[in-house]
Amino acid sequence: MTYGPALQALADPTRRAILERLRGGPSPVGALAAGLPVSRPAVSQHLRVLREAALVAERREGTRNIYSLDPRGLEQLRQYIDSFWDEVLERYKEAVEQDGPQKKEGGNHARSKRTGGPQKHHG
Amino acid sequence: MPEASALAVRKSITVRAAPEKAFEVFTAGIERWWPRKTHSVSGERTAGVTMETREGGRVFETNDAGGEIEWGVVTSWEPPRQVAFTWHPGYDNPGNYTDIEVTFTADGEGTRMELVHTGWERLGDEAARSQRSYDGGWDYVLAQFVERANE
Repeated sequence: MTYGPALQALADPTRRAILERLRGGPSPVGALAAGLPVSRPAVSQHLRVLREAALVAERREGTRNIYSLDPRGLEQLRQYIDSFWDEVLERYKEAVEQDGPQKKEGGNHARSKRTGGPQKHHG
Repeated sequence: MPEASALAVRKSITVRAAPEKAFEVFTAGIERWWPRKTHSVSGERTAGVTMETREGGRVFETNDAGGEIEWGVVTSWEPPRQVAFTWHPGYDNPGNYTDIEVTFTADGEGTRMELVHTGWERLGDEAARSQRSYDGGWDYVLAQFVERANE
């Protein structure tokens, strides 16, 4: 219901700024931090969140970690939103149609009782 | 690239019921069908889902301890044609809500129901207010995300 880690990660302006910078190409943490009004440890922390959300990938190059955009995070977010509403609307459709469409001539007037015990009511 | 403010996630289905019934089941009857164990903040502990059927009414879940978690507030109430509500279930900051609008249109013997999820740009509002200069990535990210969602 929180749209998963990607949307949480994107809700922070500094993290979006990091993603914006990475659109220009892979970068080490030092170069990322140099252009942002937050400390380097803070940038590292943001990068960790972005990695966990699969929005950023990390690779080792010598002694440095190089960060780059990772398309998987957005794809997961897209799938999440899409399936969220698909599942909700599927259940809705079942419920609406369960009572039966407004048929012109119902041949069977008896209301069938559901099996599986008494229905619950609010009380 | 479209502006984030113009972006929308759209879903539509046709149900075999009159608009009045389709509207009533979606709103007052939400308790009956919402997949509350899987689509809620409390998950398995969610006991119920309620939509207060008026403008200004709340949409909320109730958990098994009796607690209420608000998902949003009804902003437009026009039975049986349209209902709209804000949407912030589980968001860290409820001020960063998104918007849901649901419309019901007679279609033959059934009803065409369209759900539009917008307001994504509001998630970037805080940044727009305080750090406009370095928040250029948000529209880009949203555009990518929403365009894909509509594929």
